[in-house]
Amino acid sequence: MRNLKWIGVALGVLASASAARADGPKELWHYYAAGSEKAGIEALIAFANKQNPDNQIVGKVIPGNAVEMRRQLQTAFMGNTPPAAYQSSMAFELKTFVDSGKLHDLSETWAKIKGDEIFPEGVQRVVKVGGKPYGIPYDLSLINNIFYSKAIFEKAGLQPPKDYEGLVAVCDKLRAAGVEPLGNAGGPFWSLYNFYAPLVSTVGTEGYYKIASGELGFDTPEFRKALELYRDTMVKCYAKNWSGKTWTQTADDVVNGNTGMFMMGAWAAAYFKQAGFAPVEKFDVFPAPGTEGKAIFQMDAFAVPEGPADTLETAEKFVISAASAEGQSTFAVPKGSLAPNVTVDPSIYDAVGAKFAKQLADASKANAVLPNLFFLLPTKVGTELGVQLEKFAIDPSDTNESELISTLESLRQEAQAEGAYLKW
Amino acid sequence: MPSFQFMRRKFQTAGMTHAIFLSLPVTLFAVFYVYPIISTFNLSLHSWDGFSPTPKYVGLQNYIVLAHQSRFYHAVLNNISWLVFLLLGPTSLGLLLAALLDRGMKGQSVFRVVFFLPFTIPAVAVAAIWRWMYEPTSGLLTTILQSIGLGSLAQNWLGDPSIVNFALMGSMLWWTTGFAFLVFFAGLRNIPVEYIEAARIEGATPWQVFWKVSFPLLWPSTIVVLGMAAVDAMRLFDIVWAMTNGGPAYASEVLATQMYDTAFGRFEMGRASAISVYLLVIAGLIIMPYIHQLAKRVQEAEAE
Repeated sequence: MRNLKWIGVALGVLASASAARADGPKELWHYYAAGSEKAGIEALIAFANKQNPDNQIVGKVIPGNAVEMRRQLQTAFMGNTPPAAYQSSMAFELKTFVDSGKLHDLSETWAKIKGDEIFPEGVQRVVKVGGKPYGIPYDLSLINNIFYSKAIFEKAGLQPPKDYEGLVAVCDKLRAAGVEPLGNAGGPFWSLYNFYAPLVSTVGTEGYYKIASGELGFDTPEFRKALELYRDTMVKCYAKNWSGKTWTQTADDVVNGNTGMFMMGAWAAAYFKQAGFAPVEKFDVFPAPGTEGKAIFQMDAFAVPEGPADTLETAEKFVISAASAEGQSTFAVPKGSLAPNVTVDPSIYDAVGAKFAKQLADASKANAVLPNLFFLLPTKVGTELGVQLEKFAIDPSDTNESELISTLESLRQEAQAEGAYLKW
Repeated sequence: MPSFQFMRRKFQTAGMTHAIFLSLPVTLFAVFYVYPIISTFNLSLHSWDGFSPTPKYVGLQNYIVLAHQSRFYHAVLNNISWLVFLLLGPTSLGLLLAALLDRGMKGQSVFRVVFFLPFTIPAVAVAAIWRWMYEPTSGLLTTILQSIGLGSLAQNWLGDPSIVNFALMGSMLWWTTGFAFLVFFAGLRNIPVEYIEAARIEGATPWQVFWKVSFPLLWPSTIVVLGMAAVDAMRLFDIVWAMTNGGPAYASEVLATQMYDTAFGRFEMGRASAISVYLLVIAGLIIMPYIHQLAKRVQEAEAE
């Protein structure tokens, strides 16, 4: 009897715990675990909670990256316990969840925030699936700029190059001066992001979108030409042993004066600043050759899963706050990223951030804002493109070039047969 | 002589007791082991992104596609390389360290802690430490090699596809040797001193004492260490994923990391399940005869 009583007590505790879980705080899942990005999300949550005292949201870190987030979300969706909102990449990342009916249509919220007016057209198209918005943009970084050390350039009497011949000439001079010319880092993203510049230079903005929609094959002369341009310029410039480094280790090489240039997303600027490497004074940026007047960007948006009415209300109020000019700058300043909302005052940025903001605004006017191709492609094609590009950058042999082309082309055809491609 | 009724009642009561005691472990085993395996096999016959309501049945297509992928065979080969390495590397070094300490050298208790300490560090922390050790320009390893005039031996440790697996194995050696060392050391300490003394009196050299007396008596410890090494080689994931994500360009990929990448990096749950079924079969084929053989030898040794 005594044992039964204890079992009863234990069951009661469990039941109350699960009830508490159901009525628990509304969560925002993200993977900003440390540093400037953690400061950014915490500031944004505090701002939104202050604006919405009756609809508080609590941040929860999912350690890792987009892959870890998918794993957690999958489990949560299976258990019918998704968060109120979460950090999502754009385009195909959203589409997968939309196709399975897991995400809430944000059309009403979009109308309230005037999404079609406050976000550039290139930004809008990667958060809309079937014409409906499913994500609220808030964290944008340009990925088509090359950072350079001003001290190294001044010492070698160099100016930022305007074209590929100029880039190769600068690399040769830096190497002659005993400095590694261009940093890169291991992993499936960084070589791919670097490759976008030669790709856009070769196939143009229209060709870029044609690759994204599967219309332009990987075995076409244009794509091969882009690969060869990449090989003969950037790959030739890469620092020794780049593939064994993380991007922060390569950024350290720039700070320490071992490497002259580094083509990396705008987040590198925040890292440089944290390392005491002041913008404009110690480092500056220039657009990668062939991308002047264009803005290739990586972006995260807030997605809202379907859920109970009160959870949806909290999530919607949160994303409305996050989309406002004040909300966007609350996040962008500590994070060191750009606010996708064009009504945000550019004076919030530092000198380099202001350059990025101007670049985005100019590209937006010229309709030359290009989303990261990785997320425009069906997930398996984008991922394989990243892996194959890294392999090619490590060893740009004819064998690897042929293997890259045949592997990607067969994947493209497979994805097309499955109807996986989408015109963004 | 007990009556038939009494025997039957006793049997029933004992049977009930056994059944009650067994029900919990059997249920746990069925729910958390058997059911996931059956479910995974079922999923491997489908195409599913992990989110859509209904997986699409594709029969054996996932298995056939994998069987035609060089990426898959590369991961299988890597698992086999890891198997060979883990059976030989940490095991031999652990045995050597245990044998050295067992000779009663000075500062034994300090060395015991030093040798075992790395094994207490979580895999992700080990990966973070070695990620910095292996930094190819100014990492500790490269710096040491340069400072002793062997800079030409410094490599692009984690970035060169032909080097990366050896580099990963180096960090694994540092991390797991402590376990083999501890088991062997405990085994050596359990060997009756009389046996060693008797061999010495008979004129055996220390070398002979170790190989003819100590080592055969260490067989139960060896089984534990080798068995764990074989299982570790097949389920290897954390250290590879945390250090290289299976890269560069699949060079260090093993089946478990390929499965994870396929499932959550590419939303191909069915194909990832097929990889896990292949892994189960390969692990079974490699490990089971070995475990069976080793267990048989233990039984024989105990019978003697």
